[in-house]
Amino acid sequence: MKLSRIRIEQFRQFRQALEIRDLDAGINLFTGANEAGKSTIVAALRAAFFERHRSGSVDDFRPWGDSSASPSVELDFTLGHQDYRLTKSFLGKKRCELQAGSQHLDGADAEDHLADLLGFRYAGRGASAAEHWGIPGLLWIPQGGAQEVREAVAHATDHLRSALNESLGEVASSGGDEVMATVEAARNELLTPATGAVRGIYAVAIRHEAALASELDALTTAIASYRQKVDRLSSLRREHAIDEDEKPWLHFRKEHQAAIDKLAAIQRIEETQAAEKQRATQIDGQIKLLREQLASFAARKQEAETRATALEKARQEQSSNAALVVQCLEKRVEASVRYEAVREILRLARQEDTRRSLARELDEIRQKAASAAIALAKAEAEQTTLLERQRLAAAAEIRPADLESLRQQHRQIRELHIHRAAAATRLRFTLDDERRMVIGDESLSGSGERLLLAATEITLPGFGKLEIAPGGSDLTQLGRQESELSDRQAALLQRLGLTSLDDAEARQQIYSERLGEVKTATATLKALAPKGGDALRSELASQQARGGDVEAKLRQLPPAVDGSSSAAALPSVGEAEAAEEGAGKSLTQISEQLHQAQLAAANAQTNCESAARELAAARALLDAPDRAAREATASRDLVDALAERSTLTARIAALQQQVGEARPDILKQDVERFGKSAEQHEKRFGERRDTLLRLEVELQAAGAQGLEERSAKLARDLAQAQRRGEELRRRASALDHLLQLLRDKRRALTRKLQAPLQKHLNRYLQLLFAQASLEIDENLSPGPLTRVGAKGSESGAFEALSFGAREQMGVISRLAYADLLQEAGRPTLIILDDALVHSDDERLAQMKRVLFDAATRHQILLFTCHPANWRDLGVGARSLETLRAAC
Amino acid sequence: MLRLLHTADWQIGKLFGQFEPDQAALLADARYKAVERLATLASEQALDLVLVAGDVFDAQGVADRTIHRLFNALAAFSGRWVMLPGNHDAALSESVWTRAARLHAIPGKVTLCLTPEPLLLEELGVAILPAPLTQRNTFSDLSEWFASAETPPEMLRIGLAHGSVQGILAEAIDSANPIAAGRAEQAGLDYLALGDWHGTRQVDARTWYSGTPESDRFRANQSGQALLVELAGRQALPAVTPLNIGRHCWRSDALTLQVPSDVEQALQHIAKFSTDDVVQLSLSGQTDLAGHRRLRNAIGQAEGRVHSLLADLSALRLEPTADDIDALQADGYLGEVVDELRTQQEGSNAEVARDALTLLAGILDERRRDAGRAANAEASVGARAGTAADPGAGTRAGGPAGIIAGGAL
Repeated sequence: MKLSRIRIEQFRQFRQALEIRDLDAGINLFTGANEAGKSTIVAALRAAFFERHRSGSVDDFRPWGDSSASPSVELDFTLGHQDYRLTKSFLGKKRCELQAGSQHLDGADAEDHLADLLGFRYAGRGASAAEHWGIPGLLWIPQGGAQEVREAVAHATDHLRSALNESLGEVASSGGDEVMATVEAARNELLTPATGAVRGIYAVAIRHEAALASELDALTTAIASYRQKVDRLSSLRREHAIDEDEKPWLHFRKEHQAAIDKLAAIQRIEETQAAEKQRATQIDGQIKLLREQLASFAARKQEAETRATALEKARQEQSSNAALVVQCLEKRVEASVRYEAVREILRLARQEDTRRSLARELDEIRQKAASAAIALAKAEAEQTTLLERQRLAAAAEIRPADLESLRQQHRQIRELHIHRAAAATRLRFTLDDERRMVIGDESLSGSGERLLLAATEITLPGFGKLEIAPGGSDLTQLGRQESELSDRQAALLQRLGLTSLDDAEARQQIYSERLGEVKTATATLKALAPKGGDALRSELASQQARGGDVEAKLRQLPPAVDGSSSAAALPSVGEAEAAEEGAGKSLTQISEQLHQAQLAAANAQTNCESAARELAAARALLDAPDRAAREATASRDLVDALAERSTLTARIAALQQQVGEARPDILKQDVERFGKSAEQHEKRFGERRDTLLRLEVELQAAGAQGLEERSAKLARDLAQAQRRGEELRRRASALDHLLQLLRDKRRALTRKLQAPLQKHLNRYLQLLFAQASLEIDENLSPGPLTRVGAKGSESGAFEALSFGAREQMGVISRLAYADLLQEAGRPTLIILDDALVHSDDERLAQMKRVLFDAATRHQILLFTCHPANWRDLGVGARSLETLRAAC
Repeated sequence: MLRLLHTADWQIGKLFGQFEPDQAALLADARYKAVERLATLASEQALDLVLVAGDVFDAQGVADRTIHRLFNALAAFSGRWVMLPGNHDAALSESVWTRAARLHAIPGKVTLCLTPEPLLLEELGVAILPAPLTQRNTFSDLSEWFASAETPPEMLRIGLAHGSVQGILAEAIDSANPIAAGRAEQAGLDYLALGDWHGTRQVDARTWYSGTPESDRFRANQSGQALLVELAGRQALPAVTPLNIGRHCWRSDALTLQVPSDVEQALQHIAKFSTDDVVQLSLSGQTDLAGHRRLRNAIGQAEGRVHSLLADLSALRLEPTADDIDALQADGYLGEVVDELRTQQEGSNAEVARDALTLLAGILDERRRDAGRAANAEASVGARAGTAADPGAGTRAGGPAGIIAGGAL
């Protein structure tokens, strides 16, 4: 398909008609700035083909603000060897005409014809959309859409397929994919798509089979056990029958009894031997008793003699003790006398001592009483003095405050006086001899000086009177103050009974002196009677009382021993006491000795008496009438007993030998052994009987379960399950196999079918990347790109490529599709609206080679706003601005 | 004249796992029915005695119900029944017999021969010498004692044993429970009634296997019978008449398909299967898709008709013809798949390949019929019928094209 002329009018930007003539069969490059109208041309081309002229959804074709416009497009193109002219206008004048050589088509017919020719469809209603665009949709690359190739391919798949099929010249399969889908669905019911593991009814069947198998196993085991029990029952019954016949325990019972009998015999012999031994023991006791009896007879005789000797000794002791008592008594009397004498002396000595100490005490008391009386008298005198002084002091008392007031007043008066003097009118006079004058009441002569304090009338005899009034007004005030103060002082002095300050001062002196005297007197009194006079008086009274006491005591004492000599002869109390103690001690000692002696004497007496009694008793025994006969009998009995003992010893030895030969221990073991053997047999018999019963019961119970029939049923079910499992397995593997085969064959076929497309694709790809290959997937879309890089061959999905590379691949694959379509005789026109703007210079250069190559087979309309990029494309660029200007 | 019925190998309680449950249940049931028929027969014929030579029960561990049901099945004949334990129901210490006794299931008219000692039936003038199995399997001849057994001279001597007569069955040489050949003569027996062999078989003039009265396996020939034995007196040869008792005919048929016409023969063969047949059918050889389909259809129909049918087509190879493939419209890579599968049938994975091919053929056939219906519908509308249908389809597919044409008319 070759466009030769485009005319657009009242279409968006182009209110005025735009006509592009003489389009080249190869590349046509249109340049223009943004908004220059490049995209509007593309839109007009699309509108001319894709939109029904009657479409109501193409309002946007109108230029802005021109509601009455009829957007129209007119195209001249060649298809095959046929020239066409398409005239289409929308909205205002809805019209479509297609002139194909001499054939003229109108309206929808024209449009349908066009769609068939170019390979697209119309929208059922509304504006045309990508899914309708078919081949043009794939080859007309919109601005910024080069990389989005998949969707465009999908909308053109049928055309591409048919192009491929036509090129291959045969049908791929009229329903292979549906068959494959059916197979796959059937297979996926039984096997998981990913791993081929069993699923669904197949899995259920296998599980069921396994469950049945394990149940059957369990049952088989149960049956085996049942059978084994049956066998055991048989053998036990056999053994039981044999035992019932033979009764082996009876033999052992007999042996057991025999052994018991033998053992009993030996035990009887042992009992005899034991009796003999006991008898021997009795005789031994008897022998011992007899010997003791004989010994006691001998002992009595001996005892009597001993008793006699003892009595003699006791008597001697008794007499010596009696002597000792007498001696002691005598000594005791002496000691008593001596003790009494010493005690009398001690009494006297003590009495004298008391008297002396009382006399001494009385003297002391009397002295103390005397001195107390003196001190009391002095104290009383001092007290009187003190009282007098205190009275005196009180009389002279002047309060310091009063004194101070007086002093103050005095000072103020003097100051006032000075003030007045200073302020007063000084009157100095010198009278002639004999001349006189009277100032006030005073008559003066000679010379002198007076201070006039108040208005003073001076009478100068002879001359009359002068009245002088001192100048200062405060003089009178001062005078008033002074007299006031003088009055107050006079009042104070009067109250104090004084005449002047000097008196006051003197009185103060007197007062302080008298206070000193009072202090002295007080101190003196204190020294005399520190606790006061009453204390002195009570002490005196108490001394006098004590003196009375002591005197009374003295009086009570017996009269002193007459004669100073006897008194002097008396020892001191200490000595007397020592003598008394010594005498006492010796008396006690002697008394003790006496006591001891008396006790010893009494003991000796008792000993003597008991010895006498014992001797009498011993003699009585010795002299008993049957004693000799009893002694003889005992001797005879002893001889008999010794003889019997000897006989017994021999018999016991004989019996011992008999028992030792019979081995009773072994016999006991025999009894046990035979007894146990019999028991064992009986026990085993009983146990077996019980086992048989138990087994019978068990088997009856197990038998009632119908194990084998159940097992057979299970086996039947298992067989059935296995058949089903096997059927499903066969079906699954057949389906799996079939699916695999279908896929393999389909893939092989697809590869074969796509070979032409691949060839075209590779042609362009080699121009861009040497040795690269781009796979084509099932849907004929570009698949993974494999390139040879530094690290060898590497492959990446189309979507994983960079934007620029995808754009390049998009353009390349579209060119390849165009080649394919062209070979199949389909019209191809390639429009690139601002494509490849993301390509770097190097790639862009390669892409230009690609485009140039493609342009040898296809017409290409290339719109760009970057004219500089495309200068080396080998074609002249048409500037849209120029084109518009030309119209 | 003593007239007795000799039977054996009832195998009551046997289940038939190789069949579908409903069929298996009917087969198990049929065994009771056979016993009932034996009883009826004995009653109708006014026989003196029924001898059952072992394997009354299929197993020791059958359900109580099974035991009761078996003895109830004897109801019709009130005469004497003599039963011998076989290898399946040996007289062990604890056995189906002891259980039956415990259940009080055994009627008085039944005599069990649980010990090897003569059973004297005074009123019938018969002494029966039984050789009961008291172990599951024994390798000594339990009928050994027959010769030394003394019986009243006027009484008939009838042996009753269960096992393999030595020397007549090749595979029984080492088998358990042997019975010496010539035992009847050696022991002076008037008749030796044997069990264990499921087909009716005469061993010598006085020795017979009665076989099972109801067949239970495919390989036994002459099964499903009982023997009417008539004994005129001591030393007289027995008159033995086999009687048909069984209902089901078990047949195992193997057909080989070589040429196309073999299919037709096979179809006729299958058509002849009757209601009571229990059939095992194995097909081998090869056939085209149409033949395969017809065979499968025929088998499907037969399955609904006969009692049981086990069909094995695993050895039958599918050889689709070019016409087949055309008919399936297996064009493009589907055709390649079909070819590949055909080839693979020769290889190690033959079964999978055949199954896959069958499946694929089925799917394609289904599609083709759907397409035919769709085309038919379109044709009746009358629009573009000529262009819609593949121009080649009519001639290639043959039959279906006629249908399309018919629809168009």
